[in-house]
Amino acid sequence: MNFNIFRKTFFTLILLIGGMISIAASAKSGGTLVMLVQPEPPTLASYLSTSGPIGTVAAKVYDGLLEYDLDLQPQPSIAESWTIAPGGLKITFKIRKDVKFHDGKPLTAKDVQFSIMNVAKVTHPRGPNTFRSVTRIDTPDSHTVILNLDKPAPYMMMAFSGYETPILPKHIFGKGDLRAHPNANKPIGSGPYKFIQWKKGSLIQLDKNKNYWKKGQPYLDRIIARFIPDASTRTAALEKGEAHFAALGSVPFNDAKKLANNPNLTVTTKGHEMISPVAEILLNTRKAPLNDVKVRQAMAYAIDRNFVVNNIWFGYGKVATGPMSSNFAPSGLYTDKVKNYQVPNGVEIANKLLDEAGYKKKANGYRFEVMHDSLPYSEEWKRFGEYIQQAWGKIGIKVKIRLEDVPSWLKRIYTANDFDTTGGYLYNLSDPVVGVHRAISSRAIKKGRVFSNGSGWSHPKVDEMFDKATVEPNLKKRGEYYAIALSLAAENIPIIWTHEMNFPTVINNKFKDVIVSPLGIYSNFDRVKLK
Amino acid sequence: MLHFPILKYILRRLLQAIPVILGVVMLCFLMLQLAPGDLATVLAGESGGATDSYISELRIRYGLDQPVYVQLWVYMKNIALLDLGFSYRHNMSVMQLLLERLWPTLLLMGATLFLSIGGGVLSGLFAALWLNTWKDHLISITAIIAYATPLFWVGLMLILTFSLALDLFPTSGMEDVVMFYEGWAQVVDIAHHLVLPAITLSLFYIALYTRLMRATMLEQRGLDYVVTARAKGLTESQVTFRHILRNAILPVVTVAGVQFGALLGGSVVVESVFGWPGLGQLAFDALFSRDYNLLLGIFFLSACLVVIVNLIVDIIYVFLDPRIRI
Repeated sequence: MNFNIFRKTFFTLILLIGGMISIAASAKSGGTLVMLVQPEPPTLASYLSTSGPIGTVAAKVYDGLLEYDLDLQPQPSIAESWTIAPGGLKITFKIRKDVKFHDGKPLTAKDVQFSIMNVAKVTHPRGPNTFRSVTRIDTPDSHTVILNLDKPAPYMMMAFSGYETPILPKHIFGKGDLRAHPNANKPIGSGPYKFIQWKKGSLIQLDKNKNYWKKGQPYLDRIIARFIPDASTRTAALEKGEAHFAALGSVPFNDAKKLANNPNLTVTTKGHEMISPVAEILLNTRKAPLNDVKVRQAMAYAIDRNFVVNNIWFGYGKVATGPMSSNFAPSGLYTDKVKNYQVPNGVEIANKLLDEAGYKKKANGYRFEVMHDSLPYSEEWKRFGEYIQQAWGKIGIKVKIRLEDVPSWLKRIYTANDFDTTGGYLYNLSDPVVGVHRAISSRAIKKGRVFSNGSGWSHPKVDEMFDKATVEPNLKKRGEYYAIALSLAAENIPIIWTHEMNFPTVINNKFKDVIVSPLGIYSNFDRVKLK
Repeated sequence: MLHFPILKYILRRLLQAIPVILGVVMLCFLMLQLAPGDLATVLAGESGGATDSYISELRIRYGLDQPVYVQLWVYMKNIALLDLGFSYRHNMSVMQLLLERLWPTLLLMGATLFLSIGGGVLSGLFAALWLNTWKDHLISITAIIAYATPLFWVGLMLILTFSLALDLFPTSGMEDVVMFYEGWAQVVDIAHHLVLPAITLSLFYIALYTRLMRATMLEQRGLDYVVTARAKGLTESQVTFRHILRNAILPVVTVAGVQFGALLGGSVVVESVFGWPGLGQLAFDALFSRDYNLLLGIFFLSACLVVIVNLIVDIIYVFLDPRIRI
């Protein structure tokens, strides 16, 4: 290293530091995994908020009743076994006897009861919906939990991960105000890693839980969640090996290819099977001309989904057929036998449909004008807006683009409903009941409820099918209900579903067994180890 | 005897600062009301969807259901008691959050002020001494380039060059998060992490002060007192360093004081690029999450910092130029 040039060029202050470089540069990481989390989580209260970055950290600290394998099948966790009574109205969990919280107190049936009835059902954003049919929880002995339901809720079995429904210690969270609890940012759970410290603006430190009930696990000594706001710096930190893991949008799509060529790094798209985001163009069906189904169909025909996936999302994605992700194909809930808008002569059909609808081209070449609100998240959404402008321009729809910040956008779309079209995406999550219904069910049309039915469209038959699918335990029958609902949705196209999003996950090759769960970054990392 | 009027002066200035700071906070409070959306929608939005009762419960809890004048009155009353409130988003008291982030900010700013004033004064001085030689041109052109280059780009280029290619400095952060050094090793580690962000943030100001210093040096050189000094038979270096330099440095100090506020703003970019855990980044996040308690707390703290720095600048004047009285 050429320190001589340094000495001559810089001031004495830098000279001093220059001499010390060799010390810091020799640092080896040992058993520490540094993961990039973006943005910094506001709190660690995963029982209060499902905001992306919160779960990525909290899921390492809190256990759930169950875990899930990559085929989305439930696996035992702190519940060593479970039985569902015929009819589906009674679910019994047997809790392991060797599980202890980080403060040394044992985890019992009372903690599970508290975490579902007093926490998930009350304070969790999705919990009241997920557990709405749970009326009572019995704890006949200290390690048996019986959920009593008034209606069958087969989808509920997918919501027992430590990310979705964390099990909290009642002796800590049972006291005081759960919404402003002193332990919100100092979580105490029973998971593989213990919370140590949070340096706001830089990092969260989690250390190995030596008394974890899975003997010998976790393998890592420490996990550090680091926050670097700038995307290019995050890429640099991964390249340099200062950070070892990044997922869920913390790596820009345009850098993913470059990182994939780095021999020290692996880029994968696995680990989103229980999240399944589907990208969309939301149309405000309350307003003319978007209240006309022919106009909406024309707009859908004009969008080339392959172009969007390949050029805006750098190939990370798969053309979508509707609100449901094809990740539900193995369970039989998904169907692609619906109206297909991805056809070679889409522009032609679109022009014909618009003529039929009575929107003829005027002298200036345009039929009408819409305002598109670009989703104010990452760069891709701006590009998406620009693409939509071009694509609809081809069929004579003039598009203006507006860009606001996130709170303004949320208010405009979901409270004021003062928009024409906007880009966005919804997570399908663990089950369509949780992630899909909210997009087009009439019950989800509510002012102020964000990420719900923003288009304002609904259909009684869709509602009916959704209601039936909610309580139907038989997967085949559920699939039939969804087939009807999905084909109605595609026919009426209140939302143009463009593609199933795949996020690149970057892993340093020093580590293995990082993505072993459909929850990916939201899993507990108890199997991650150094190679 | 001399110290007494200074103390009195400081006290008077601090008292004068109170209405200024309160005015700033009140103005900021009212301006923030103009932004659409509130904390409740953002929190609910981040949750990826929430029930209506959850959102209205959030509003009541944060006092967002009250009329604006009630919210303002409550806030001003609290701030008079130095109670900056609670950040619901961070689930922490605002004061605690600010104090945690204050020292990285002060560290970065201190280093930047030192580098930029030092570097600017020196290079401006030499440019003036070497007037119209190739060295002067080199300094001036470099200064203009540095002045015109966007901060984030400089930051990224420094990372690519000194961190990725040459492997001399870490890409980002304030500490080595794998080692967690303690004692002196920690001081060295932090200094090591400070180098690139401080240089990035300084470059713009070095350029500015270089131009300013060069211009005032040239201006002062033609004044009568310089002729007098020369006539006394002083050497050229005595004239330059004892007479011209001291007078020429005054405008630089003035501008540095005024620009301290802008330095807070510029640090948002640098903090973001280098993942430096300072106040700028916190303010940026607070704005986009409509965390008004926190944002107002930051405005309050920034207003205090600017007032204090300007006071210090005024006191420095007295030492630089004894003709200035307070």
